[in-house]
Amino acid sequence: MPPKHIDDMDIDSDYSDISIELGNISKGRNRKGKATDKRKQDKGKAKAKEQAYTWEASFTRSWDTVQEDEAGSLQTSVEDLMARGRRRRLLAPASAIRRTIIRHLILILDLSSAMMDRDMRPTRFDLMLQYAREFITEWFDQNPLGQIGVVGMRAGLGERIGEMSGNPQEVLKSISDRIKLEPTGEPSLQNAIEIACGTMSHLPTHSSREILIIFGSLTTCDPGNIHDTLESCFKSKVRISVVALAAEMKICRDLCDKTGGQFGVAMNEGHFKDLLFELVPPPAQRAITRTAGTGTTNPAADLMMMGFPTRLPDASPRSLCVCHSEMKSQGFLCPRCLSKVCDVPTDCDICGLMIVSSPHLARSYHHLFPVKPYDAVQNESDILEGSTACHACARPFPTKAAPAKEGLSPVGRYRCPDCHNDFCSECDVFVHDVVHCCPGCGK
Amino acid sequence: MDNHFGSHLSVVVDLSPAQWHRAAADRDSPLAVDAFVSQLLAFLNAHIALKHENSLAVFAAFPGKSVMLYASTDPPDRPTPIDPNSYPPFKRLDSTVTARITAQLAADIHPEEPSALVGAITKALCCLSCSSRHCESNLLFLPDINRLSLGHDEASDPRILVLSVSPDLATSYIPIMNSIFSAQKLKITIDACQIFGPDTVFLQQAAHLTGGSYLYLDRRDALLQYLIMSFLPPPPIRKVLAVPTQDRIDFRAACFCHKNIVDIGSCAQSAYPSSASPCPSVPPVEQSSPSKHYSVSMLPVRRPAPQHQTVAGEYTPVSSSSEWDPGHQRI
Repeated sequence: MPPKHIDDMDIDSDYSDISIELGNISKGRNRKGKATDKRKQDKGKAKAKEQAYTWEASFTRSWDTVQEDEAGSLQTSVEDLMARGRRRRLLAPASAIRRTIIRHLILILDLSSAMMDRDMRPTRFDLMLQYAREFITEWFDQNPLGQIGVVGMRAGLGERIGEMSGNPQEVLKSISDRIKLEPTGEPSLQNAIEIACGTMSHLPTHSSREILIIFGSLTTCDPGNIHDTLESCFKSKVRISVVALAAEMKICRDLCDKTGGQFGVAMNEGHFKDLLFELVPPPAQRAITRTAGTGTTNPAADLMMMGFPTRLPDASPRSLCVCHSEMKSQGFLCPRCLSKVCDVPTDCDICGLMIVSSPHLARSYHHLFPVKPYDAVQNESDILEGSTACHACARPFPTKAAPAKEGLSPVGRYRCPDCHNDFCSECDVFVHDVVHCCPGCGK
Repeated sequence: MDNHFGSHLSVVVDLSPAQWHRAAADRDSPLAVDAFVSQLLAFLNAHIALKHENSLAVFAAFPGKSVMLYASTDPPDRPTPIDPNSYPPFKRLDSTVTARITAQLAADIHPEEPSALVGAITKALCCLSCSSRHCESNLLFLPDINRLSLGHDEASDPRILVLSVSPDLATSYIPIMNSIFSAQKLKITIDACQIFGPDTVFLQQAAHLTGGSYLYLDRRDALLQYLIMSFLPPPPIRKVLAVPTQDRIDFRAACFCHKNIVDIGSCAQSAYPSSASPCPSVPPVEQSSPSKHYSVSMLPVRRPAPQHQTVAGEYTPVSSSSEWDPGHQRI
């Protein structure tokens, strides 16, 4: 799409905002289809109450979310945000959850003209691409054995952008070219979901099949009844999650609720990212599908053959690899057929064995063995004798008690329920979010 | 390459009395713990002396507990006596480290417990993360003079050197892997040096995954030389030096059911946390491969190098790793 058109759209959206206030006089100016026009007006109505122009939005938002305290410091609002994070973590179920290690995800990107809206900076489209890249990197980091495919919704069609792949570089490359993904036309949920289901239909029934839709439009242009598609998704145990950028739509909500996915409408840029990244950790496996499916009758179907390769040193004699037929010295030896592959995880090209290195498997373990949430020490009388500094970073605790807040410790101490050592709030967050291992008990 | 920022070094020392007793009684090249500490202190002094901005933190893993021995940010416990024959920072470091080690050894410890190496590594990570967070506002690990002029922690090349004498502990596999992955995420290099005892697979993997180097000491009396030659230069300088690297890393795993070494295993597609036993009742499926086991929790082990590999019809002998010894195979 030429840049001129983009400017055009910007003017459109501004005028449509004004037209709400001045009465409907801008009809002639809108050179778009009726549906688009209506959508703009809907959006305009919602927004007109707060501000007239989209560019004013970002300023008011930052003032809204952060409140200064009496002393003019932002410390309290930062603490509030942390407390919220702690509460959310405590809400997470502590009981045993069955989680999928090998995941298959189709990422459906909305490439309709609605994505050129500028209610998110710089545009919804650019922001979506940026977050999608971060999402893919993080997703592969936490699900190293998973695979991602990319499908776009553009001009009433679903189009395959990236094939299902376990290599993050390949997936990132497929969405790296912005020009090729230029948004146009109407989206079609049904077409895109059909393509995604088709891509995943050959997968074994016990592997996870997920679809993540980033949806910016308020319309969908489908060739048939989308509820039939929904029904077939439900039958083939595809889990659909939707992150909507505009507003909640009944069909999106239905898609998520019926298939067990998550639905969310992004309020702003940060919330958009939060919604996306909530989908990174592997979902808990549903109990219904386990009992209804073949899982209980045939437990072996839950297990997968995997080979653990030997890495060849860089100084080993050069030989041909089976994947690219290149002369290389480094590589990994398939344990079954002793052929040399370039990279893991992969499927051996000769015998088809799945080759993973054990660190790959271990990377997903922290989802299975989470650190217990620390208890906030509420009273000064609970402080143990002789503990004056954080057990992890050896930074001294504050001596004065702060006013108590929900979820926060007034004395700045958080105690591990197992080893009864005290930690500072920074280390508490770091241990639970990054390290996933308590420094005191080593578990 | 030469920036005016210092580099941060965290040293994790494994001080398991039982293992050190064995090391001192070793027939080939004995190394007593006091000789080790004096060589270590020489190395630490060398690190401080290398550049004024360099910072240091020392952690010790005792049986069942881990302790911070020294941090260059710590205010000194008590005013150190002025010694006309020694440089004050060296003196402070030496006296603090030795005093705390003695204090810890004098306190009641249970020598039968395994070393809390994971705890010490995790503490080192916590310290690094805290310091890097504080660095953004006021550079904490640097001496006062530089705090105002510098901007960010990225130049400090944080690294962790693990000096271990204990064998791998199977139960600490998951926590140690978790700490390795977080180090990888935070771009912290982990160097490992196994001074005594069998080769450790976990530390080998740690060094491999974070881009550090792993060293198995053959001659323990030359410890200081090993340390200075391979672990003193910070990571950016190592690119131009030929520091020893690992030649062969095994990614094989031990199965959860029999603790056997497998190269082909079956892994559950989805797994329960440890509270539920994964799949104890599953009978092994008959397969052509004799070594087939079910494994949910994988434990990597080192295995003998195959004598020959055959790739695409070629017959090429593999250069076997010099330091590998079949006697050290574990589990």
